[in-house]
Amino acid sequence: MNLKKVLAIALGIFSAIGGFVDIGDLVFNTQAGATFRFQLLWVVVIGVLGIIVYSEMCGRVSAVAKRPVFDLVRERTGFGAGLATLVASEVVNLMTCAAEIGGVAICLQLLSGLPYRLLIPVGVLVLVVSAWVLPFRWIERAFGYLGLCLLVFAVAAIKLHPAWSQVARGFVPGSHTGGSLLVYLYFVVGLLGAAMTPYEVYFYSSGAVEDGWGLKDLGLNKVTAIIGYALGGFLSFALMIVAGMLFLPRSISPQFLGTPALGPEHVFGRVGLLLALVGIIFAVGGAAIETSFAGAYNLAQFFGWRWGKKERPAAASRFTLSWLAIFALALLVVMTGYDPVRLTEYSVIFSVVALPLTYLPILLVANDYTYMGAHVNGKLANFLGVFYFVVILVIAVAAIPLMLITHGGQG
Amino acid sequence: MNKSTEVDIALGILDHQLVDSEGTNCGKVDDLEIAGLDGDAPEVVEILVGGSAWRSRGLLGRLAARLGGSAVHVRWREVEAVTSVVTLKRPAAELRLNRGDDRWARLVGKVPGS
Repeated sequence: MNLKKVLAIALGIFSAIGGFVDIGDLVFNTQAGATFRFQLLWVVVIGVLGIIVYSEMCGRVSAVAKRPVFDLVRERTGFGAGLATLVASEVVNLMTCAAEIGGVAICLQLLSGLPYRLLIPVGVLVLVVSAWVLPFRWIERAFGYLGLCLLVFAVAAIKLHPAWSQVARGFVPGSHTGGSLLVYLYFVVGLLGAAMTPYEVYFYSSGAVEDGWGLKDLGLNKVTAIIGYALGGFLSFALMIVAGMLFLPRSISPQFLGTPALGPEHVFGRVGLLLALVGIIFAVGGAAIETSFAGAYNLAQFFGWRWGKKERPAAASRFTLSWLAIFALALLVVMTGYDPVRLTEYSVIFSVVALPLTYLPILLVANDYTYMGAHVNGKLANFLGVFYFVVILVIAVAAIPLMLITHGGQG
Repeated sequence: MNKSTEVDIALGILDHQLVDSEGTNCGKVDDLEIAGLDGDAPEVVEILVGGSAWRSRGLLGRLAARLGGSAVHVRWREVEAVTSVVTLKRPAAELRLNRGDDRWARLVGKVPGS
């Protein structure tokens, strides 16, 4: 393997790590740590493995069939089921995009001291201009690399000297202390939903087509999905450990999006706070662009339009207007002043309900010889794919009742 | 390719991607017009794309059709090849399949860098 290829893989991994954490991970990992300390770390492992399994499948489908997932959803499930999936995914994408924008605006407010409502349109404008101007690869990478500032959470977690034996016990599911069983289960569902958000697989598979992946990129797909997401999962561990070390003993309930940044500030002072806020802005800002693009990809692929950043915006005008419209609608939602933390919780929980509609077609297509030829799922991919599909079905049924009964994890 | 084989293939391409002669995506196979279903030589005569073509696609299709305007009819003889996508013999513009992007291109085209 030559140096250029190694560099390309390393760059892909770095951007996957920096781009792993979004607003859902930030909220749920911090709240879970502040409520159950390290006891839910095992859920992050399950969630990260799930997104690895399905992202690898998506990337493989895109590289072999040269077609993104949503293009095949309709072909495989028909118009009615495809349209239902489209509507559900668009609602979830919009909610998620709005939550991410709220997160960007709050961090900008903490950095600048300017009014939150002024910073919402400013943040959206910067994101829209970035998405308009930057080529696809650089949207993914620029935000991913700057999102690596979140590694300050990992260093803070180590510097806080947690009892590592307790941390290790968190990786084994079992009895719990610190909250009711239902609240515990609510966080299990929320953490899985945050790790396996549907827009990630839509964006990943469309991105693979935008990047022109072919059979030669199957190795790159495996490495990016496995190492990138696995290392990204370490950021989730760090968020939970920091919250468990700092917020739980002080009975701080992180009901504010800026609260997680207090962890690095506690350990490293102002530099820590600055790195955490910059990391959150870019990780969450990148996710806002990804959600708006995922929404536009889905619409364009369902109706068969021209799509992609590789196209001139005017040539693929419906695709272009779609991602701009998602930003505009998300802006309106955030401007209502609705609490971004609540919005995030709703977006994650509703995305859990939509998960089966997203993941079943991927599993079906990845097993279809017509599209995949010799690259259909092997035994391991199918075992894990089916296992996760059952998990997804269970949490999809449980998500909304748990949210209502526990008042969004408040008990 | 005899007529009934042609119909079998056509039914198998419902919801598939349409690609024009220049390799550009230009819609999906939303419905098919089949002639001669009463006799022993049914024949696909047209592909229907967009709008009212969704009317025959279940409850959600009927709802979507109300918002979608009229369908574009593409004669079956315009089909060049059927693979994992349906390739057409002519550019989308000549078959009126680019009207959606054309309609909004003027608006988007006003933005610098478009």
